[in-house]
Amino acid sequence: MNSESYAYIGRKQPQIDGLAKATGEAKFTTDLVLPRMLIGKLLGSPYPHARVRNVDASRALALKGVKAVVTGKDVPGKKYGVFVSRMDETGLTVKARFVGDPVAAVAAVDEETAMEALGLISVDYEILPAVFDPEEAMKEGAPVIHDEYERNIVADTHYDFGDVEAGFRECDHIREDNFFSQTVSHATLEPRGVLADCDVAGKLTLWTSTQAPFQVRRDIIRALDIPASKLRVIKAHVGGGFGGKADTYPMQVAATLLAMKTGRPLKIIATREEEINVRRRAPMSIFTKTGVKKDGAIMAQYLKILADSGAYSSTSILMMYNSGLTCMIPYRIPNFKYDGYQIYTNKMVTGAMRGHGANQPRFAVESQLDMIAEDIGMDPADLRLRNASQKGDTTVSGLHFVSCELSRSIEESTRNVGWKEKRRQKGTNRGIGIACGGFVCGARISGHTASGTNIHVHEDGGVTVITGSADIGQGSNSVMAQFVAEELGIPLSDISVIAADTETTPIDNGTFSSRVTFYGGNATLLAAREVKQMMAGIAATLLKSNAEDIVFRDKLVFVRDDPSRSIPFGKLAKATEGMGHGRLIIGQGQWAPTNTQFPDKKTKWGNVSGSYSFATQIAEVEVDTETGQVKVISITIGDDCGQVINPLSVQGQADGSVAMGIGHALLEQLLFGSNGQLMNPSLLDFKIPTAMECPPTTLLEVGTPDPIGPYGAKEIGEGLLITTVPAICNAIYNAVGVRITELPITPEKILKALDEKKRREKP
Amino acid sequence: MKRRLELTVNDECLDVEIEPHRTLLEVLREELGFTGAKEGCGLGACGACTVLVDGAPVLSCLTLALEVQGKTVTTVEGLVKNGQPDPVQKAFVDHGAIQCGFCTPGSVMSAKALLEKNSNPSGQEIREALAGNLCRCTGYQKIIEAVGSLAKPR
Ligand code: FES
Ligand code: FES
Repeated sequence: MNSESYAYIGRKQPQIDGLAKATGEAKFTTDLVLPRMLIGKLLGSPYPHARVRNVDASRALALKGVKAVVTGKDVPGKKYGVFVSRMDETGLTVKARFVGDPVAAVAAVDEETAMEALGLISVDYEILPAVFDPEEAMKEGAPVIHDEYERNIVADTHYDFGDVEAGFRECDHIREDNFFSQTVSHATLEPRGVLADCDVAGKLTLWTSTQAPFQVRRDIIRALDIPASKLRVIKAHVGGGFGGKADTYPMQVAATLLAMKTGRPLKIIATREEEINVRRRAPMSIFTKTGVKKDGAIMAQYLKILADSGAYSSTSILMMYNSGLTCMIPYRIPNFKYDGYQIYTNKMVTGAMRGHGANQPRFAVESQLDMIAEDIGMDPADLRLRNASQKGDTTVSGLHFVSCELSRSIEESTRNVGWKEKRRQKGTNRGIGIACGGFVCGARISGHTASGTNIHVHEDGGVTVITGSADIGQGSNSVMAQFVAEELGIPLSDISVIAADTETTPIDNGTFSSRVTFYGGNATLLAAREVKQMMAGIAATLLKSNAEDIVFRDKLVFVRDDPSRSIPFGKLAKATEGMGHGRLIIGQGQWAPTNTQFPDKKTKWGNVSGSYSFATQIAEVEVDTETGQVKVISITIGDDCGQVINPLSVQGQADGSVAMGIGHALLEQLLFGSNGQLMNPSLLDFKIPTAMECPPTTLLEVGTPDPIGPYGAKEIGEGLLITTVPAICNAIYNAVGVRITELPITPEKILKALDEKKRREKP
Repeated sequence: MKRRLELTVNDECLDVEIEPHRTLLEVLREELGFTGAKEGCGLGACGACTVLVDGAPVLSCLTLALEVQGKTVTTVEGLVKNGQPDPVQKAFVDHGAIQCGFCTPGSVMSAKALLEKNSNPSGQEIREALAGNLCRCTGYQKIIEAVGSLAKPR
């Protein structure tokens, strides 16, 4: 069946909860209120590294309206974290490892009282030497941030595929360059929060802003040593995540503890300052060495990356794995070596952020490819075309591409923008640049990552979809509904979705690694097909036909060759329930790809994702050589995300990625003071792009249906962002001939580079 | 000491006793139950708290509640008339201008204020009117399209 014949797949669908969001009806965690609800606040350490000797909360507890104070001593101290091998958080700590690390929490009748109480808690700290720079932190003798990690190395990941030295020997040209990608904030518009409730039987319920309620449950039951059956975690409406809400945060642990202690509901909502201080993108120093033949064929590549972990591990090992892995996706690289290190420092924590570990090396490699293209006198688009991965390829690291339209994406995007002509334009300050990339559809490097969906058909033909997949704003509830609508031939308005509740929905790892449409979508399809099969059997009996000849479309169920023999979907639902001894129309689906392996423990060889997305991005910029300002004029994307399920949300992901990429390339940077404290934790000082800076994006869909993705769909949520930054960098070079290797590209850096260039040119 | 505040919110005359330092955003959300307006920053940087006061957009996180004594406040909830969403709300939904929706109440109110003042705004005017409403999800394109779809050529 091609997409023309679909009723819902590939068609623009507004989000099913769009109106609730547009009218203010959608309830985010901050909007939730329970009777007798208390307000909680966290007390963060003023020191970057300090042992808590003692906490005296007597004055706080004496304040009218204060109901409880808890400290690091009140948590059992069982560590939790994203990876079993890297569990290092306790929620509230007895040893502060960054400025703001929560050491105590208070419950009070209102926010003002809670704030006042914080000021009355006196903490006796033993100040420890601190270290802020990853390079310093990995030296012998540097302060140890977590006892178990020598030289503060939390992740070191190494690949060595093919024979890199031999590969370099075959090259006609080799470049070695250094790059630095800065640290930025997720800056979700919604600051994170949690509402915890404890009933008389001791059962706890959490409503929270999270991408992964099942992970939150897993971590909190560990941290507080309570049985899994005693904790229910429900995802409220989430105001954006981008990776920042993928792991459990201290506030969630503290709120649970305070609710247990007070026996009252308790809510904690982060201020923007607190929000920014929870997670950020890891800054990385990247050394890249790439060698090519005269014709541009890449023969060997080596990357060495040093990433700052901040005070805790978060996703460290996956991030460092990704940084290497994603270098293998867009191009055929016969010999590849990678050394990735992530280092603890006494600064706030870095973690997953859209593109997770791929963005930083992509920026480096794509910048360097343009430098190589210039060195060998080749068009940068041709260089990429020369090396582009192809369908059916297995990389030296074991990744296998069951679908891949990267070449087509390069050809179509360059054609669309008039690449050859524009590259040739001289004497203007306009330029055009290209970058390619690819991403996983859910990388699995350990543990279980299956997704599940249950479907109930009601007697009037209404359908409830119950899925573990967490909609954090990207619209996955709507996509799941679309799959069901297509299978059962009913409109989205007849479908409601219940999602991401540890008690009522199937288990799901969460929304990250661009896995939701791929995994959750396939699970939903299986559930829908089970329902369909049951109903088709009944329809065949009623319509005197065969189940294989029954079609579901436009709320009707009919015989393919004789549509006049039909029954309305609602009637069929009723009939199905009433047949024989009566039955329930329930479908169940669970799914994980079967063509993947865990990466080999030693070599890291293995296909970690069922499929991979591919994209080319072309940026056109204008540089003001007087002020150093860069204006992004347009972004054109050739994208292979397989079959597009919802063009509205696919375009939305593209637009949003581009905006975030512009921020990363040109505007954003978190700054730290001499104590490792965050210097710009506000949206006034940490500027993200506004409606004034974001150009229109042209999205060219070049993909073909993927054999594994649901209806042929692949990811689009993360893979696009990783190419925006280098495309802009390359466009700037094309415009004014300066190459900025340290992000963000501020006007000062442009002016300085222009100045140096001028001096170089006329000595 | 609590003070009495009388105001009209979404066509309803209300009065409340409030501490004088309470912001309009706090009073709307916590005292009156209008949780549509959101706090994204509390410092006037994000626009998520935008409501209309006598038809003009204001940042309710920076407005003391007592400043709107006797005035008319419209929140995103108040745009729904007889169960029907406002054309601006509908356009946001239909054009895909909403992803997570946290910025939406603020952006919708800024868009509403713009269209009341200028029924045929240009793309540039729309961008300018929405420049104070940060959105981290949509890249603004679909918001601009949604508002543009309501522009009525004179
Ligand atoms: S909350 Fe008012 S501007 Fe951000
Ligand atoms: S839709 Fe999420 S911030 Fe705008």
